[in-house]
Amino acid sequence: MSIKILKAGLQMTLQGAPFQGHRHLGMPAAGAADSLSLALANCLVGKSHGAIALEITLTDAIFEIADSCLIAVVGSAKSVRINGEEMLQHQTRPVVAGDSLHIGPSHAGCRTYLAISTEIRADELLGGRSTCLAAGLGGFHGRALKDNDIVPLSQETTTGIIDRTTPRALRPHFSDDHVLRVLPGPEANGPIESPIGDLCQKSYLVGARASRMGMMLEGAPLGTEKVSDMPSAAVFPGTIQLPPSGHPYLLGPDAQTTGGYPRIAQVIRADRHLIGQLRSGSRVQFVQTTTERATEIYREKLSLLTPWLGQIDLW
Amino acid sequence: MPKNDPLIHVCDDWISIQRPDRDSILAAQAAFAASGQWTEIIPGMDSIAVQFDPWLLSPDDAAGLASRQLNDARKVNRASVPMVTIPLCYEGDLAPDLAFVAEKIGIEADRFPEWHASREQQVAMLGFMPGFAYLDSPDPCPAIGRLADPRQLVHAGSIGIIGRQSCIYSFDSPGGWPIIGRTPLRLFDPRQEQPALLAAGQTVRFEPISRQTFDSWPRADDK
Repeated sequence: MSIKILKAGLQMTLQGAPFQGHRHLGMPAAGAADSLSLALANCLVGKSHGAIALEITLTDAIFEIADSCLIAVVGSAKSVRINGEEMLQHQTRPVVAGDSLHIGPSHAGCRTYLAISTEIRADELLGGRSTCLAAGLGGFHGRALKDNDIVPLSQETTTGIIDRTTPRALRPHFSDDHVLRVLPGPEANGPIESPIGDLCQKSYLVGARASRMGMMLEGAPLGTEKVSDMPSAAVFPGTIQLPPSGHPYLLGPDAQTTGGYPRIAQVIRADRHLIGQLRSGSRVQFVQTTTERATEIYREKLSLLTPWLGQIDLW
Repeated sequence: MPKNDPLIHVCDDWISIQRPDRDSILAAQAAFAASGQWTEIIPGMDSIAVQFDPWLLSPDDAAGLASRQLNDARKVNRASVPMVTIPLCYEGDLAPDLAFVAEKIGIEADRFPEWHASREQQVAMLGFMPGFAYLDSPDPCPAIGRLADPRQLVHAGSIGIIGRQSCIYSFDSPGGWPIIGRTPLRLFDPRQEQPALLAAGQTVRFEPISRQTFDSWPRADDK
Protein backbone atom coordinates (compact mmCIF):
# COMPACT_ATOMS: atom_id res chain seq x y z
CA MET A 1 0.00 0.00 0.00
CA SER A 2 1.13 3.54 -0.60
CA ILE A 3 0.21 7.15 -1.13
CA LYS A 4 1.68 9.15 -4.00
CA ILE A 5 2.75 12.76 -3.66
CA LEU A 6 1.79 14.65 -6.81
CA LYS A 7 2.69 18.04 -5.37
CA ALA A 8 4.79 18.35 -2.22
CA GLY A 9 4.72 22.14 -1.90
CA LEU A 10 7.14 24.23 0.15
CA GLN A 11 8.18 21.54 2.62
CA MET A 12 6.48 18.22 3.31
CA THR A 13 8.03 15.80 5.80
CA LEU A 14 7.01 12.73 7.76
CA GLN A 15 6.72 13.79 11.40
CA GLY A 16 5.38 12.29 14.61
CA ALA A 17 6.70 12.30 18.16
CA PRO A 18 10.08 14.00 18.67
CA PHE A 19 13.28 12.14 19.45
CA GLN A 20 13.92 11.95 23.15
CA GLY A 21 16.95 11.26 25.30
CA HIS A 22 19.58 11.99 22.66
CA ARG A 23 20.12 15.75 22.86
CA HIS A 24 23.49 15.19 24.57
CA LEU A 25 24.58 13.57 21.29
CA GLY A 26 23.54 16.68 19.38
CA MET A 27 20.33 15.05 18.18
CA PRO A 28 17.57 17.64 17.70
CA ALA A 29 13.98 16.97 18.79
CA ALA A 30 12.48 17.05 15.27
CA GLY A 31 8.88 15.75 15.30
CA ALA A 32 5.68 17.60 14.41
CA ALA A 33 6.09 21.36 14.68
CA ASP A 34 2.48 21.63 15.93
CA SER A 35 2.01 18.69 18.30
CA LEU A 36 -1.64 19.53 19.03
CA SER A 37 -2.79 19.48 15.39
CA LEU A 38 -0.88 16.21 14.88
CA ALA A 39 -2.60 14.61 17.90
CA LEU A 40 -6.04 15.75 16.74
CA ALA A 41 -5.47 14.38 13.22
CA ASN A 42 -4.14 11.03 14.49
CA CYS A 43 -7.09 10.61 16.87
CA LEU A 44 -9.53 10.86 13.94
CA VAL A 45 -7.97 7.81 12.28
CA GLY A 46 -7.60 5.81 15.48
CA LYS A 47 -3.88 6.32 16.02
CA SER A 48 -1.85 7.35 19.05
CA HIS A 49 -1.05 11.05 19.33
CA GLY A 50 2.58 10.80 18.27
CA ALA A 51 2.11 8.49 15.27
CA ILE A 52 3.80 9.52 12.02
CA ALA A 53 1.75 11.77 9.72
CA LEU A 54 2.50 14.04 6.76
CA GLU A 55 3.37 17.60 7.75
CA ILE A 56 2.49 20.10 5.02
CA THR A 57 3.89 23.63 5.03
CA LEU A 58 2.16 26.81 3.83
CA THR A 59 1.54 26.01 0.16
CA ASP A 60 -0.91 23.51 -1.31
CA ALA A 61 -0.23 19.81 -1.70
CA ILE A 62 -1.77 17.11 -3.90
CA PHE A 63 -1.90 13.36 -3.24
CA GLU A 64 -3.09 10.32 -5.14
CA ILE A 65 -4.60 7.64 -2.94
CA ALA A 66 -3.52 4.13 -4.01
CA ASP A 67 -5.54 2.01 -1.58
CA SER A 68 -8.68 2.28 0.54
CA CYS A 69 -8.05 3.76 3.97
CA LEU A 70 -9.25 6.42 6.37
CA ILE A 71 -7.69 9.86 6.40
CA ALA A 72 -8.05 13.04 8.44
CA VAL A 73 -6.74 16.55 7.93
CA VAL A 74 -6.11 19.09 10.70
CA GLY A 75 -4.21 22.33 10.35
CA SER A 76 -3.89 25.70 8.70
CA ALA A 77 -5.02 24.74 5.16
CA LYS A 78 -7.86 26.91 3.93
CA SER A 79 -9.66 24.12 2.14
CA VAL A 80 -9.38 20.41 1.46
CA ARG A 81 -10.86 18.70 -1.60
CA ILE A 82 -11.30 15.10 -2.66
CA ASN A 83 -11.86 14.67 -6.38
CA GLY A 84 -12.77 18.35 -6.47
CA GLU A 85 -15.37 18.16 -3.73
CA GLU A 86 -14.93 19.85 -0.41
CA MET A 87 -13.77 17.69 2.49
CA LEU A 88 -14.11 18.99 6.03
CA GLN A 89 -11.18 19.09 8.43
CA HIS A 90 -11.62 17.47 11.84
CA GLN A 91 -13.58 14.51 10.47
CA THR A 92 -12.63 10.95 9.66
CA ARG A 93 -12.91 10.43 5.92
CA PRO A 94 -12.82 7.10 4.04
CA VAL A 95 -11.00 7.23 0.69
CA VAL A 96 -10.54 4.64 -2.05
CA ALA A 97 -7.93 3.86 -4.68
CA GLY A 98 -7.71 6.56 -7.32
CA ASP A 99 -9.03 9.37 -5.15
CA SER A 100 -7.27 12.67 -5.58
CA LEU A 101 -6.69 14.69 -2.39
CA HIS A 102 -5.93 18.39 -2.62
CA ILE A 103 -4.91 20.22 0.55
CA GLY A 104 -5.10 23.95 -0.09
CA PRO A 105 -2.65 26.65 0.99
CA SER A 106 -2.73 28.08 4.51
CA HIS A 107 -4.92 31.13 4.93
CA ALA A 108 -3.50 31.76 8.40
CA GLY A 109 -1.00 29.67 10.29
CA CYS A 110 1.62 27.53 8.60
CA ARG A 111 1.22 23.75 8.95
CA THR A 112 -1.36 21.06 8.23
CA TYR A 113 -1.28 17.37 9.15
CA LEU A 114 -2.57 14.51 7.05
CA ALA A 115 -3.10 11.40 9.15
CA ILE A 116 -3.71 7.99 7.56
CA SER A 117 -5.27 4.96 9.25
CA THR A 118 -2.65 2.53 7.95
CA GLU A 119 0.87 2.80 9.30
CA ILE A 120 3.19 5.11 7.37
CA ARG A 121 6.44 3.23 6.89
CA ALA A 122 9.08 5.71 7.97
CA ASP A 123 12.76 4.98 8.59
CA GLU A 124 13.52 4.22 12.21
CA LEU A 125 16.21 6.14 14.05
CA LEU A 126 17.06 6.10 17.76
CA GLY A 127 13.64 4.79 18.72
CA GLY A 128 11.75 7.36 16.62
CA ARG A 129 10.52 7.70 13.05
CA SER A 130 10.28 11.45 12.56
CA THR A 131 12.43 13.12 9.90
CA CYS A 132 15.72 14.57 11.17
CA LEU A 133 16.60 16.90 8.28
CA ALA A 134 19.95 18.03 9.79
CA ALA A 135 21.31 14.48 9.72
CA GLY A 136 19.34 13.32 6.69
CA LEU A 137 17.96 10.42 8.72
CA GLY A 138 14.55 9.05 9.75
CA GLY A 139 11.22 9.74 8.02
CA PHE A 140 11.32 9.32 4.23
CA HIS A 141 15.02 8.64 3.53
CA GLY A 142 15.85 11.51 5.87
CA ARG A 143 14.56 14.18 3.55
CA ALA A 144 11.58 16.31 2.63
CA LEU A 145 9.17 14.67 0.19
CA LYS A 146 9.30 15.67 -3.46
CA ASP A 147 6.79 15.55 -6.28
CA ASN A 148 6.19 11.96 -7.44
CA ASP A 149 7.56 10.35 -4.27
CA ILE A 150 5.60 7.29 -3.18
CA VAL A 151 5.23 6.92 0.58
CA PRO A 152 4.87 3.26 1.55
CA LEU A 153 2.08 2.25 3.94
CA SER A 154 1.88 -1.01 5.86
CA GLN A 155 -0.36 -3.79 4.55
CA GLU A 156 -2.43 -4.03 7.71
CA THR A 157 -5.79 -2.35 7.53
CA THR A 158 -7.23 -0.72 10.59
CA THR A 159 -9.47 -2.78 12.77
CA GLY A 160 -13.04 -1.59 12.80
CA ILE A 161 -14.63 1.47 11.33
CA ILE A 162 -13.85 4.80 12.88
CA ASP A 163 -16.01 7.82 12.25
CA ARG A 164 -15.01 10.70 14.46
CA THR A 165 -15.45 14.44 14.55
CA THR A 166 -13.25 16.65 16.75
CA PRO A 167 -15.41 18.41 19.36
CA ARG A 168 -15.77 22.07 18.40
CA ALA A 169 -14.29 23.33 21.65
CA LEU A 170 -11.02 21.52 20.97
CA ARG A 171 -10.46 22.79 17.43
CA PRO A 172 -7.48 25.17 17.27
CA HIS A 173 -8.10 28.62 15.88
CA PHE A 174 -5.58 29.56 13.21
CA SER A 175 -4.43 33.13 13.13
CA ASP A 176 -1.40 35.21 12.27
CA ASP A 177 -1.58 37.06 15.58
CA HIS A 178 -0.07 35.05 18.39
CA VAL A 179 0.39 35.54 22.09
CA LEU A 180 3.12 33.30 23.46
CA ARG A 181 3.73 33.05 27.17
CA VAL A 182 7.38 33.10 28.23
CA LEU A 183 9.59 32.59 31.25
CA PRO A 184 12.93 34.28 31.82
CA GLY A 185 15.82 32.26 30.38
CA PRO A 186 19.11 31.62 32.22
CA GLU A 187 20.64 34.80 30.75
CA ALA A 188 17.53 36.96 31.28
CA ASN A 189 19.42 39.23 33.67
CA GLY A 190 22.52 39.65 31.63
CA PRO A 191 24.31 40.72 29.58
CA ILE A 192 21.69 43.46 29.17
CA GLU A 193 19.33 44.53 31.87
CA SER A 194 15.90 42.96 31.82
CA PRO A 195 15.69 41.99 28.13
CA ILE A 196 12.59 39.93 28.91
CA GLY A 197 10.81 43.10 30.09
CA ASP A 198 11.65 44.77 26.77
CA LEU A 199 10.76 41.58 24.87
CA CYS A 200 7.26 41.59 26.36
CA GLN A 201 6.69 45.31 25.78
CA LYS A 202 7.12 45.12 22.04
CA SER A 203 5.43 43.04 19.43
CA TYR A 204 7.41 41.26 16.76
CA LEU A 205 6.99 40.07 13.21
CA VAL A 206 8.34 36.67 12.20
CA GLY A 207 11.18 37.19 9.72
CA ALA A 208 11.40 36.02 6.14
CA ARG A 209 13.52 32.90 6.62
CA ALA A 210 11.33 31.15 9.20
CA SER A 211 11.87 27.39 9.21
CA ARG A 212 11.54 24.34 11.42
CA MET A 213 14.92 25.30 12.89
CA GLY A 214 13.85 28.72 14.05
CA MET A 215 12.96 32.25 13.10
CA MET A 216 14.25 35.75 13.53
CA LEU A 217 11.82 38.15 15.20
CA GLU A 218 11.76 41.56 13.59
CA GLY A 219 10.98 44.69 15.52
CA ALA A 220 12.84 47.34 17.46
CA PRO A 221 16.11 45.57 18.40
CA LEU A 222 16.79 44.97 22.06
CA GLY A 223 19.78 46.84 23.47
CA THR A 224 22.90 44.98 22.47
CA GLU A 225 25.81 47.15 23.59
CA LYS A 226 27.06 44.39 25.84
CA VAL A 227 25.80 41.34 23.97
CA SER A 228 28.49 38.83 23.16
CA ASP A 229 28.83 35.11 22.70
CA MET A 230 28.76 33.00 25.82
CA PRO A 231 30.04 29.48 26.44
CA SER A 232 27.74 27.14 24.51
CA ALA A 233 24.90 25.75 26.60
CA ALA A 234 21.74 23.72 26.10
CA VAL A 235 18.85 25.23 24.15
CA PHE A 236 15.41 23.80 23.44
CA PRO A 237 12.52 24.35 21.04
CA GLY A 238 10.92 27.57 22.26
CA THR A 239 14.15 29.09 23.58
CA ILE A 240 14.54 32.74 22.59
CA GLN A 241 18.16 33.70 21.97
CA LEU A 242 19.58 37.19 21.67
CA PRO A 243 22.23 37.36 18.92
CA PRO A 244 24.47 40.44 18.54
CA SER A 245 22.03 41.93 15.98
CA GLY A 246 19.58 42.53 18.84
CA HIS A 247 16.82 40.71 16.94
CA PRO A 248 15.57 37.86 19.11
CA TYR A 249 15.74 34.39 17.55
CA LEU A 250 13.03 31.87 18.42
CA LEU A 251 14.06 28.22 18.14
CA GLY A 252 11.81 25.60 16.50
CA PRO A 253 11.66 21.80 16.74
CA ASP A 254 14.70 21.22 14.49
CA ALA A 255 16.89 23.67 16.41
CA GLN A 256 20.38 22.57 17.34
CA THR A 257 20.81 21.28 20.89
CA THR A 258 23.29 23.87 22.14
CA GLY A 259 23.92 27.52 21.37
CA GLY A 260 26.28 30.35 22.21
CA TYR A 261 23.88 33.29 22.33
CA PRO A 262 22.25 34.48 25.58
CA ARG A 263 19.03 32.55 26.30
CA ILE A 264 16.84 35.45 27.34
CA ALA A 265 13.46 33.69 27.44
CA GLN A 266 11.69 30.35 27.02
CA VAL A 267 8.22 29.83 25.53
CA ILE A 268 6.27 27.72 28.02
CA ARG A 269 5.60 24.06 27.17
CA ALA A 270 1.83 24.62 26.90
CA ASP A 271 2.28 27.23 24.13
CA ARG A 272 5.11 25.56 22.19
CA HIS A 273 2.83 23.83 19.69
CA LEU A 274 1.82 27.30 18.46
CA ILE A 275 5.39 27.90 17.23
CA GLY A 276 4.63 25.39 14.47
CA GLN A 277 1.95 27.72 13.13
CA LEU A 278 4.15 30.82 12.96
CA ARG A 279 4.93 31.93 9.43
CA SER A 280 6.91 34.74 7.95
CA GLY A 281 4.93 37.90 8.73
CA SER A 282 3.05 36.50 11.74
CA ARG A 283 2.75 38.97 14.61
CA VAL A 284 3.94 37.72 17.99
CA GLN A 285 3.37 39.26 21.38
CA PHE A 286 5.20 37.74 24.34
CA VAL A 287 3.68 37.73 27.81
CA GLN A 288 5.75 36.87 30.86
CA THR A 289 4.43 34.29 33.29
CA THR A 290 5.83 32.26 36.19
CA THR A 291 7.05 28.65 36.32
CA GLU A 292 4.20 27.76 38.71
CA ARG A 293 1.58 29.25 36.39
CA ALA A 294 3.24 27.65 33.32
CA THR A 295 2.91 24.23 34.94
CA GLU A 296 -0.75 24.88 35.81
CA ILE A 297 -1.51 26.00 32.25
CA TYR A 298 0.17 22.90 30.78
CA ARG A 299 -1.70 20.55 33.10
CA GLU A 300 -5.02 22.33 32.51
CA LYS A 301 -4.50 22.09 28.75
CA LEU A 302 -3.75 18.37 28.89
CA SER A 303 -6.74 17.79 31.19
CA LEU A 304 -9.01 19.47 28.65
CA LEU A 305 -7.64 17.29 25.85
CA THR A 306 -7.39 13.88 27.52
CA PRO A 307 -11.13 13.04 27.52
CA TRP A 308 -10.95 13.23 23.71
CA LEU A 309 -7.33 12.36 22.90
CA GLY A 310 -6.45 10.05 25.77
CA GLN A 311 -3.17 10.36 27.71
CA ILE A 312 -1.00 12.67 25.60
CA ASP A 313 1.86 15.06 25.91
CA LEU A 314 2.60 18.18 23.93
CA TRP A 315 6.15 19.21 23.05
CA MET B 1 16.49 26.64 48.36
CA PRO B 2 17.46 25.91 44.75
CA LYS B 3 15.16 28.71 43.53
CA ASN B 4 17.41 31.26 45.19
CA ASP B 5 20.61 29.64 44.00
CA PRO B 6 22.05 31.93 41.30
CA LEU B 7 23.76 28.95 39.68
CA ILE B 8 20.48 27.10 39.04
CA HIS B 9 17.97 28.47 36.55
CA VAL B 10 14.54 26.85 36.42
CA CYS B 11 12.15 26.98 33.45
CA ASP B 12 8.85 25.05 33.29
CA ASP B 13 10.36 21.87 31.84
CA TRP B 14 14.11 22.28 32.02
CA ILE B 15 16.79 23.44 34.42
CA SER B 16 20.20 24.89 33.62
CA ILE B 17 22.98 24.62 36.18
CA GLN B 18 26.31 26.46 36.06
CA ARG B 19 29.31 24.31 37.00
CA PRO B 20 32.85 25.47 37.73
CA ASP B 21 34.74 22.98 35.55
CA ARG B 22 34.51 20.04 33.17
CA ASP B 23 34.98 17.40 35.89
CA SER B 24 32.03 18.73 37.86
CA ILE B 25 29.91 18.76 34.69
CA LEU B 26 30.79 15.12 34.00
CA ALA B 27 30.12 14.18 37.62
CA ALA B 28 26.71 15.88 37.43
CA GLN B 29 25.95 14.14 34.13
CA ALA B 30 26.70 10.75 35.70
CA ALA B 31 24.57 11.51 38.78
CA PHE B 32 21.61 12.73 36.71
CA ALA B 33 21.83 9.70 34.41
CA ALA B 34 21.95 7.31 37.37
CA SER B 35 18.69 8.75 38.76
CA GLY B 36 16.75 7.88 35.59
CA GLN B 37 14.45 10.85 36.27
CA TRP B 38 15.34 13.19 33.40
CA THR B 39 14.17 13.04 29.78
CA GLU B 40 17.33 14.87 28.61
CA ILE B 41 20.72 15.53 30.22
CA ILE B 42 22.81 17.96 28.17
CA PRO B 43 26.35 19.03 29.07
CA GLY B 44 27.36 22.54 27.98
CA MET B 45 30.75 24.27 28.08
CA ASP B 46 30.35 25.61 31.62
CA SER B 47 26.90 24.31 32.50
CA ILE B 48 24.61 21.31 32.30
CA ALA B 49 20.86 21.18 31.63
CA VAL B 50 18.20 18.58 32.41
CA GLN B 51 14.70 18.35 30.99
CA PHE B 52 11.67 16.80 32.69
CA ASP B 53 8.02 16.03 32.00
CA PRO B 54 5.99 18.87 33.58
CA TRP B 55 2.94 16.61 33.84
CA LEU B 56 4.84 14.40 36.30
CA LEU B 57 7.15 16.86 38.02
CA SER B 58 6.67 20.48 39.09
CA PRO B 59 9.57 22.86 38.43
CA ASP B 60 10.09 23.29 42.21
CA ASP B 61 10.26 19.56 42.80
CA ALA B 62 12.53 19.11 39.79
CA ALA B 63 14.91 21.82 41.07
CA GLY B 64 15.00 20.19 44.51
CA LEU B 65 15.70 16.83 42.96
CA ALA B 66 18.50 18.21 40.75
CA SER B 67 20.01 19.99 43.72
CA ARG B 68 20.10 16.83 45.85
CA GLN B 69 21.55 14.77 42.99
CA LEU B 70 24.29 17.40 42.51
CA ASN B 71 25.22 17.12 46.18
CA ASP B 72 25.55 13.38 45.77
CA ALA B 73 27.57 13.66 42.54
CA ARG B 74 30.89 11.89 42.78
CA LYS B 75 33.98 12.52 40.73
CA VAL B 76 33.93 10.53 37.52
CA ASN B 77 36.77 8.07 37.15
CA ARG B 78 38.58 9.19 34.02
CA ALA B 79 39.80 5.67 33.33
CA SER B 80 36.19 4.66 32.71
CA VAL B 81 36.06 6.90 29.64
CA PRO B 82 38.27 5.25 27.00
CA MET B 83 40.61 7.34 24.87
CA VAL B 84 39.79 7.55 21.16
CA THR B 85 42.32 7.70 18.35
CA ILE B 86 41.09 9.54 15.29
CA PRO B 87 42.95 9.07 11.99
CA LEU B 88 43.27 12.45 10.32
CA CYS B 89 44.46 13.36 6.84
CA TYR B 90 46.03 16.83 6.71
CA GLU B 91 46.49 16.91 2.92
CA GLY B 92 45.29 18.98 -0.02
CA ASP B 93 41.62 19.75 -0.40
CA LEU B 94 40.86 17.90 2.84
CA ALA B 95 42.71 20.67 4.69
CA PRO B 96 41.80 23.90 2.85
CA ASP B 97 42.77 26.24 5.72
CA LEU B 98 45.89 24.46 7.01
CA ALA B 99 48.33 27.03 5.61
CA PHE B 100 46.31 29.91 7.05
CA VAL B 101 46.11 28.25 10.47
CA ALA B 102 49.81 27.32 10.50
CA GLU B 103 50.72 30.93 9.75
CA LYS B 104 48.50 32.18 12.60
CA ILE B 105 50.21 29.76 14.96
CA GLY B 106 53.62 30.63 13.59
CA ILE B 107 54.83 27.25 12.37
CA GLU B 108 55.71 25.80 8.97
CA ALA B 109 52.74 24.23 7.21
CA ASP B 110 54.51 20.90 6.76
CA ARG B 111 55.16 20.71 10.50
CA PHE B 112 51.52 21.33 11.34
CA PRO B 113 50.32 17.67 11.43
CA GLU B 114 53.04 16.79 13.93
CA TRP B 115 52.20 19.86 16.05
CA HIS B 116 48.47 19.12 15.98
CA ALA B 117 48.71 15.38 16.58
CA SER B 118 50.89 15.90 19.66
CA ARG B 119 48.31 18.07 21.41
CA GLU B 120 46.15 16.73 24.18
CA GLN B 121 42.48 17.12 23.29
CA GLN B 122 39.32 16.43 25.21
CA VAL B 123 35.68 16.31 24.09
CA ALA B 124 33.95 19.20 25.86
CA MET B 125 30.47 18.47 24.57
CA LEU B 126 28.43 17.40 21.55
CA GLY B 127 26.05 19.84 19.92
CA PHE B 128 25.13 21.74 16.75
CA MET B 129 24.17 18.51 14.94
CA PRO B 130 24.11 14.79 15.76
CA GLY B 131 27.60 13.61 16.70
CA PHE B 132 29.26 17.02 16.19
CA ALA B 133 31.97 17.34 18.84
CA TYR B 134 33.54 20.40 20.46
CA LEU B 135 37.09 19.69 21.66
CA ASP B 136 39.19 21.56 24.20
CA SER B 137 42.94 21.48 24.58
CA PRO B 138 44.82 22.44 27.74
CA ASP B 139 47.90 23.09 25.59
CA PRO B 140 48.51 26.71 24.58
CA CYS B 141 47.46 27.94 21.13
CA PRO B 142 47.09 31.46 19.76
CA ALA B 143 43.56 32.57 18.88
CA ILE B 144 42.84 31.78 15.23
CA GLY B 145 39.23 32.88 14.95
CA ARG B 146 36.59 31.88 12.44
CA LEU B 147 36.60 32.40 8.68
CA ALA B 148 35.41 35.81 7.57
CA ASP B 149 33.12 34.07 5.08
CA PRO B 150 31.63 30.81 6.33
CA ARG B 151 31.68 27.95 3.81
CA GLN B 152 28.42 26.79 2.33
CA LEU B 153 29.67 23.21 2.49
CA VAL B 154 31.98 21.66 5.04
CA HIS B 155 32.32 17.90 4.53
CA ALA B 156 31.49 15.38 7.25
CA GLY B 157 34.63 14.38 9.15
CA SER B 158 36.30 17.79 8.76
CA ILE B 159 38.24 19.11 11.76
CA GLY B 160 38.03 22.83 12.45
CA ILE B 161 40.21 24.81 14.84
CA ILE B 162 39.82 28.32 16.28
CA GLY B 163 42.50 28.15 18.96
CA ARG B 164 42.40 25.89 21.97
CA GLN B 165 38.98 24.86 20.80
CA SER B 166 38.45 22.51 17.85
CA CYS B 167 35.44 20.80 16.40
CA ILE B 168 34.62 17.77 14.25
CA TYR B 169 31.83 18.06 11.71
CA SER B 170 29.65 14.95 11.76
CA PHE B 171 27.59 15.71 8.64
CA ASP B 172 28.00 17.88 5.57
CA SER B 173 26.88 21.35 6.58
CA PRO B 174 27.70 25.03 6.27
CA GLY B 175 30.40 26.13 8.68
CA GLY B 176 32.81 28.88 9.65
CA TRP B 177 35.67 27.09 11.43
CA PRO B 178 39.02 26.95 9.58
CA ILE B 179 39.47 23.34 8.39
CA ILE B 180 42.83 21.62 8.90
CA GLY B 181 42.02 18.05 7.91
CA ARG B 182 39.44 15.31 7.59
CA THR B 183 38.91 11.94 9.23
CA PRO B 184 37.44 8.98 7.34
CA LEU B 185 35.63 7.87 10.53
CA ARG B 186 31.89 8.24 10.80
CA LEU B 187 31.00 10.45 13.75
CA PHE B 188 27.34 9.46 13.99
CA ASP B 189 25.81 6.12 13.06
CA PRO B 190 22.32 5.50 14.42
CA ARG B 191 22.64 1.76 13.76
CA GLN B 192 25.29 1.45 16.48
CA GLU B 193 24.38 0.92 20.11
CA GLN B 194 26.42 4.07 20.82
CA PRO B 195 25.35 6.22 17.84
CA ALA B 196 27.92 8.96 18.49
CA LEU B 197 31.62 8.07 18.14
CA LEU B 198 32.54 10.59 20.83
CA ALA B 199 31.18 11.55 24.25
CA ALA B 200 31.75 14.49 26.59
CA GLY B 201 34.86 13.91 28.71
CA GLN B 202 36.67 11.63 26.29
CA THR B 203 40.33 12.18 25.50
CA VAL B 204 41.08 12.30 21.78
CA ARG B 205 44.35 11.73 19.94
CA PHE B 206 44.75 12.51 16.28
CA GLU B 207 46.90 10.20 14.17
CA PRO B 208 48.14 11.61 10.84
CA ILE B 209 47.30 9.42 7.84
CA SER B 210 48.19 9.80 4.17
CA ARG B 211 45.73 10.70 1.45
CA GLN B 212 46.06 7.16 0.15
CA THR B 213 45.13 5.70 3.55
CA PHE B 214 42.22 8.14 3.77
CA ASP B 215 40.91 7.17 0.34
CA SER B 216 41.18 3.45 0.99
CA TRP B 217 39.67 3.60 4.48
CA PRO B 218 36.83 1.08 4.68
CA ARG B 219 33.55 2.93 4.90
CA ALA B 220 30.18 1.66 5.89
CA ASP B 221 27.82 2.36 3.01
CA ASP B 222 26.10 5.66 3.59
CA LYS B 223 22.98 5.55 5.73
